[in-house]
Amino acid sequence: MLPNTPSASLLLIEDEQDMARYLSTGLEEAGYEVTHADQADQALKLALAQQWDIMIVDRMLPHEQDGLDIIKAVRLASVQTPVLVLSALASLDDRVRGLREGGDDYLTKPFALPELLARLEALIRRANPSTNTTIDNRQLRLADLTLDLLSRKAERGGQPITLQPREFKLLEYLVRNQGQVVTRKMLLESVWDFHFDPGTNVIDVQVSRLRNKIDKGHSTPLVHTVRGVGYRFGVDG
Amino acid sequence: MDRIWHSVAFRLALLCGGLVVASVLVMSSVFYFVSIGLLARNIDSKITSITEKFSEDAESNGLSVVAQRIASTLTDGVDSDVEILLLTNALGQKLAGNISGWSERSTPVDQTIDRMVNRGDRLVPSRVRLHRLSDGSLLVVGRDMQDLSEIGNLIGRAVAIGGVSAILLAILATIVFRHQFERRIWAIRQTTQEIEAGNLDRRIELSGTPDEFDRLSADINRMLDRIQHLMEGVRHVSNTIAHNLRTPLGLIRGHLEEALRGVPEQRKLENAGYFAIGAIDDLIVVLEKLLQIAEAESGTRRQPFEPVVLRTVVTDLLELYDAAAEALGITLIVDIEGEPTLHGDKDLLAGILANLIDNALKYAGSPAAIKIQVRETVQAVSIIVQDNGPGIAAHERTKVVQRFYRLSSNRPGSGLGLSIVSAFTHLHDGTLFIEDAQPGLKVRIELPKLLALII
Repeated sequence: MLPNTPSASLLLIEDEQDMARYLSTGLEEAGYEVTHADQADQALKLALAQQWDIMIVDRMLPHEQDGLDIIKAVRLASVQTPVLVLSALASLDDRVRGLREGGDDYLTKPFALPELLARLEALIRRANPSTNTTIDNRQLRLADLTLDLLSRKAERGGQPITLQPREFKLLEYLVRNQGQVVTRKMLLESVWDFHFDPGTNVIDVQVSRLRNKIDKGHSTPLVHTVRGVGYRFGVDG
Repeated sequence: MDRIWHSVAFRLALLCGGLVVASVLVMSSVFYFVSIGLLARNIDSKITSITEKFSEDAESNGLSVVAQRIASTLTDGVDSDVEILLLTNALGQKLAGNISGWSERSTPVDQTIDRMVNRGDRLVPSRVRLHRLSDGSLLVVGRDMQDLSEIGNLIGRAVAIGGVSAILLAILATIVFRHQFERRIWAIRQTTQEIEAGNLDRRIELSGTPDEFDRLSADINRMLDRIQHLMEGVRHVSNTIAHNLRTPLGLIRGHLEEALRGVPEQRKLENAGYFAIGAIDDLIVVLEKLLQIAEAESGTRRQPFEPVVLRTVVTDLLELYDAAAEALGITLIVDIEGEPTLHGDKDLLAGILANLIDNALKYAGSPAAIKIQVRETVQAVSIIVQDNGPGIAAHERTKVVQRFYRLSSNRPGSGLGLSIVSAFTHLHDGTLFIEDAQPGLKVRIELPKLLALII
């Protein structure tokens, strides 16, 4: 699960030492160059001192400091580095506030490391649109799959695929994030805009129905399951 | 003393006592004014008229005639014991009258005044009027006021006795009133103290007469019932939560211990690790759901309510659950009349529907049909999710909204779905009905379009 950007620089703002150590190890294993700050003032200095590829900000910092204030200050200084807010404050209200104050994504503790890695990757991708994918306003293309964004029609190998509107949206999201791991939670949030636990494995069933429509009868599968995490869309698994 | 002063009963009684005394005083003064005052005024006018009559007489008929008249007036037996009359010539020599003379030179004339007059044997308080005739002789007309001042004293004494007894009565009333008051208050205070000490099922004893205290006590008792009910609810909830968290925690612990026992084996450790992560993830979901319920029940609204178009919410959910339903061989039927709109929280309303559809998918069996209906009236919107599965037995329908209550432990689930539905419904001022669809389960939610304005 190495991010495609080689050794991206990451500023980790987290005061809980055990959590910081665990995160640093995990992030370094995933190829990030991690700098850790555990105090708000030190974190703010570091955040403004150099150009980071991404930041992870914990909300509840020592001395009653809120990580959101760091994000606000950073945004005021016109720094556009993508920020992922990591917090034990789990209500939807907190989430909405986190995103309004300048965070780009909000993940609540406790979380799965793969979920965090997938989200970081998506944020970095979004901040640096890659040049090797065929993306324009009208068409998305991957191998022999084509999505017409205007007529909302898809075809593979010249064969039209019948998709319901939401299935098209799901496919569009997968194509746009091709090569990356996307988690079930990310799909639920991005494609359906729901932020609750939907109970049964609805996302898995949705993806497997889409897989049937996309991959059936083709020798190269495009939808790949990443065990315990989610899915990856692309030519090679 | 300070404590007594702070007693409401004492202050009330004191106020009443004060009012009684004041009214006695007012009454006495009115009585005094109309009795003694009137008499005194009558006396004054009589003195004036006698003075005028005698002086006119003297001017026209001469002093000797007047002297004779005075003598006869004093002996006619009418008021003669109180009359005071004197006529002297210009030299001050007495011509007639029943007092020896008028020695005081500076006495103002033609004014009725109070003077002590020597009536031969004694000095008496009197009203007198002096008039100097044109030839320099002096006419003194007056009245012995001894009797009137005696009446005045009598009245004064009566007022004093009345006033003192009024004050004594007021004090007595204070004591009785305060005692009554304290007795009733004490009953309430004793109960509250016992409750404070942890004896939650104590209630205030009612006296049986439906007075203010009994009504207050009944109110307090009702409030205590409600609090006790809520506290038992909280206790029950904490117990169930603790139980439902302890069980999976125990399982996780057991699996990890088992994996570590004896010679560590890679595969065993891996399995235990995956099991623990899975179980912990389930616990996180349970905690999140409990948090959602608590948030909704405490009424702290996360976002302001706004108009929600229900067709959009239902369609979004349908497009999430359609694949799952298809895979299970379940048909989803949507039936929306008109364009129902509701004032509410879109995410919470979606949560209600998601939980109901999820339940139906889990329990309706296969094949089955799930019908989602939305109906609108002028005041309310009803959302009905109905399946043709086995349904819920009548005696269990009220229990299924309780946290962690599960109809069967064979199927995956947290037992929180309908608790969430119930909590979210109540946050929207709605009512949840769990009914028999004959066959199947019918969950009906009635939501008022305009919420009561509680902000």
